[in-house]
Amino acid sequence: MIIAALPPVVRQTGTPRATAPLVPMGANAGAPHDVAMQYAIYKESLEFLRDCETPGKIQALNYEYVAKV
Amino acid sequence: MSYTAIKGLQSEIFVPVTPPMVWTPVTKPMNEWIVAIATAAGVHGVDQERFNLSGDFTYRAVRDSYKPEELMVSHGGYDNSDVNKDINCMFPYERLHELAADGVIKGVAPTHYCFMGGGGNQEKFKNETGPAIAQNLKEEGVDAVLMTAG
Repeated sequence: MIIAALPPVVRQTGTPRATAPLVPMGANAGAPHDVAMQYAIYKESLEFLRDCETPGKIQALNYEYVAKV
Repeated sequence: MSYTAIKGLQSEIFVPVTPPMVWTPVTKPMNEWIVAIATAAGVHGVDQERFNLSGDFTYRAVRDSYKPEELMVSHGGYDNSDVNKDINCMFPYERLHELAADGVIKGVAPTHYCFMGGGGNQEKFKNETGPAIAQNLKEEGVDAVLMTAG
């Protein structure tokens, strides 16, 4: 079960289960110090692992973090 | 001028073939899971050997007992600034402990597994590193693994 910042790459590698919040590489599990976002991304990813019945499905997660570069 | 070298070829750029999917069914309720993290983000303890930034297929067994300030990242393939501020961005083991405390999962594995993605010897990753990590997780009674990568 992968939490992906780059879902097309994860699809190409044959990942059976993945979630994809709107995050940049380097913050796949959510924004730094945003405990609520990280907790929700992790919890919903575990729930997707439990519920997913279709290999190759990538579940979009409704959380967004834009890094200030 | 034509840019086509071979007529009918769909791509002249090497594209890895997508391997067959490995599908492991879930057999337990979520609140009975022991969960570990596996990440390609190059996380390791400050007392462990750094990854070779030019390509490294080795992995680090990272004890769950490390404190956040005892963990670091060596990975040259992505912007490390967020994970340097908060290791949980790629290695959210503190969130796992909260999920266990809330009864969402049963517990957190004693060891997590970290390696450096973005390059290195793919054959070694596929045939040695990956199977070794999977074997360790199995022996440690882990039911589910959350990965951060890609």
